[in-house]
Amino acid sequence: MSIAGFLDDSIAVAENEFRLFRRNRSAILISLVVLPFFFTASLGAGRGGAGTTYYPTANIPIAWVDNDNSLASIRLWHSLATSHDFRNLIEGYTEQGALAELGTKRIYAVIVVPKGFQNDLENGYQARLILYTDDSEPGVSDQIQATLTTYTQNFDPNVDVQPYLSQLQRQSVAGVGIVTKGAIFAGFNVGLTTVLAIVQIFAGFYEIAGGMSREREDGTYARLLVSPIPIGSIMLGKTLFDVLLSVIRTFTVLAISVYGYGARPNTDILTLLSLSLIIALVTMGIGFVVAALKVGQRAVVIIEFFLILFLFAFSGLIIDSNLLVGASQVISYSLPFTYAFDALKRTILLGRPLLSLTFDLEYMIGSIVATYGLAFVLLHFSRERLIK
Amino acid sequence: MKSFVRDTVGITGKELKQLRRDPVSLILTIMFPILLIGIFIVIVSAFRATTHNVPIVVADLDGSPASNELLNKLTQSRFVHVTQLVQTEDQAYQAVANGQAIGAVVIPQGFGVDLAAGDAFVIVSTDNSKLTSSQFVTEAVNEGAQEIVTQATQEGGVSFGLKLAPIEVITRPVSGRPPTGDPILPGFLGMIAILGAFDDIVNAISRERERGTFPRLALSPVSLFAVYSGKMSATVVLTILRTALMLLIFTLYGLVIRGSLILIFLTTILIAIFTLSLGLTISARIRGTATLTVLEIAMTFPLFSLAGTTTSPLLLAPGGTAIANSLPWTYGNDALRRLIYLGSGFNAIAGDLTILLVSSLILLPIAILLSKRTM
Repeated sequence: MSIAGFLDDSIAVAENEFRLFRRNRSAILISLVVLPFFFTASLGAGRGGAGTTYYPTANIPIAWVDNDNSLASIRLWHSLATSHDFRNLIEGYTEQGALAELGTKRIYAVIVVPKGFQNDLENGYQARLILYTDDSEPGVSDQIQATLTTYTQNFDPNVDVQPYLSQLQRQSVAGVGIVTKGAIFAGFNVGLTTVLAIVQIFAGFYEIAGGMSREREDGTYARLLVSPIPIGSIMLGKTLFDVLLSVIRTFTVLAISVYGYGARPNTDILTLLSLSLIIALVTMGIGFVVAALKVGQRAVVIIEFFLILFLFAFSGLIIDSNLLVGASQVISYSLPFTYAFDALKRTILLGRPLLSLTFDLEYMIGSIVATYGLAFVLLHFSRERLIK
Repeated sequence: MKSFVRDTVGITGKELKQLRRDPVSLILTIMFPILLIGIFIVIVSAFRATTHNVPIVVADLDGSPASNELLNKLTQSRFVHVTQLVQTEDQAYQAVANGQAIGAVVIPQGFGVDLAAGDAFVIVSTDNSKLTSSQFVTEAVNEGAQEIVTQATQEGGVSFGLKLAPIEVITRPVSGRPPTGDPILPGFLGMIAILGAFDDIVNAISRERERGTFPRLALSPVSLFAVYSGKMSATVVLTILRTALMLLIFTLYGLVIRGSLILIFLTTILIAIFTLSLGLTISARIRGTATLTVLEIAMTFPLFSLAGTTTSPLLLAPGGTAIANSLPWTYGNDALRRLIYLGSGFNAIAGDLTILLVSSLILLPIAILLSKRTM
């Protein structure tokens, strides 16, 4: 068959896919609206926009119990209460009363200044603060402790107004300043690297594997196979269809992120689009392999769910791959998505040129070739099995 | 009334029988909890590893005994692994920029002298695109510096004129558990209840619609209310089984469950009933099993962060907190945490349970009405 004929067939398959897609309102809604919008908006709601600053502990009600009633303890209270981080310090509790309230959702922590606080500071001893926390709220204890520590480790009991400490100074140990370099990224921008990929993986996998399963279950795949269109054209046609949807999804996510949440990716649109499409192609390759295994539509969705959960654990989304141990690390480094997330971080956050990420690109493109090749072989040799 | 109960029990039995005959759904019911816990164990074991070996390079531009001491502390650190000693500051930064190391520590010239004056500093450059590893680098340097200061203070004679941080913060969690407890496990239990109930909807309604058996069921002498009631009862039975499986896994994992088991089961049942009510409402409009499952999964991942599963809603940005507070699941997860960790009684979680119940009672009639219209 000539290349022109092959391409004609592929375009015909792609057109057919679009026709089917256009007639399916739910599919349009989920693929182009719900997935990009839902994920991006959830990220913005959880982390705040890229240009906004919020202080996680600012509005958490915390009881302040001063058992020392000294000048030093009053100065400490003043430095905390006038900060951005502890705007909801509540006075007037006794220690017992405050502890009784802990766990009732009226207060989430109690800071107790023990007797002898000032005395210890005056005599050069390390004074203590006791922080009781409602640890049934995930992350709250750690966050309050970390924030409180930044204020206490450089506290000077001899001055009324504590000098303003920058974020860098707050990390320092008394006597040894730690000057940190390296760009600090807005939580939204970090999340964008995940959302951009997850949306493509989510939609791409379902559209390819789910679409082929649906065709098989409806009996239209059998008709497609008995037509003179070769397997390669079917795969290319479906890929072309999904690539176009991926482009729309990428622009949707970016538009919501940039215009809705003030995200400023540290790279150009072409890099973002290229990476996004590479991720979509890797996913489609895996989708074709799964479709060739003759699984039902529902099984496809279940596999997709497990795939996404798997990626969260092993692709460096929650914890960096280099910190994983043993077999988990081997799994992580063998997943093409690990390199995809890495490339997204290096471009969106660090502004590295796409072509400088040679290994990431090689691994992802290699994975596309491998999965498409495997899918082609499987689809070719299981023609009979797939139409039964 | 008697016939209603009989019909409900009949439908419940039918649902459970169908599940038993469907190996994919049956495996899914068991696999969800195991997979979630498996992922949790992978992540927690990575965080709790005794050594992390995050690669760093060090440029010691001072060469004094004090800087040597800091270098020693870094090489002994359990967080980082010093892969290279470089000669200049630029080489150190370049190593991070090239991706050869995740962090670079520069000990500037005059560090020893400045340390004696209590005014020293070190420079730490990190690749912050590696979110967790970069924190370990800062942590290692912080720890090393703290150890030098402590050592200097204890040795007295060789004191560098430094003192320890003036105030130490001692944290005491109200539950009495160690501060590094596993605060997200109850949230996982909530997620299992949600996912399971969504899956039951797919099995119970959408699949019957696709196979054309739902109209037959509706045309039978069984009332529509009894049909829904039966399907809901099946979900209650399955939620009890899923909750029992999760609690068993928690116990094997070493988690001490403090609260009443009955209240835990009641909470997961109410979470499931609310999810079922929502699922019934959605399934009146979206009919395909696969489409509904995709929507279910798409909703699940944002819920991890917005419904208090992995992070407290208190720590979200203001918009996120508002969304979290408007989701009934947040209250279910909250109740589960209070029950499991704090051992709270019924009074403490009554408000949470009421919100779940009222939300279900509002959604259920809507779901039945929509189902009738779209039948």
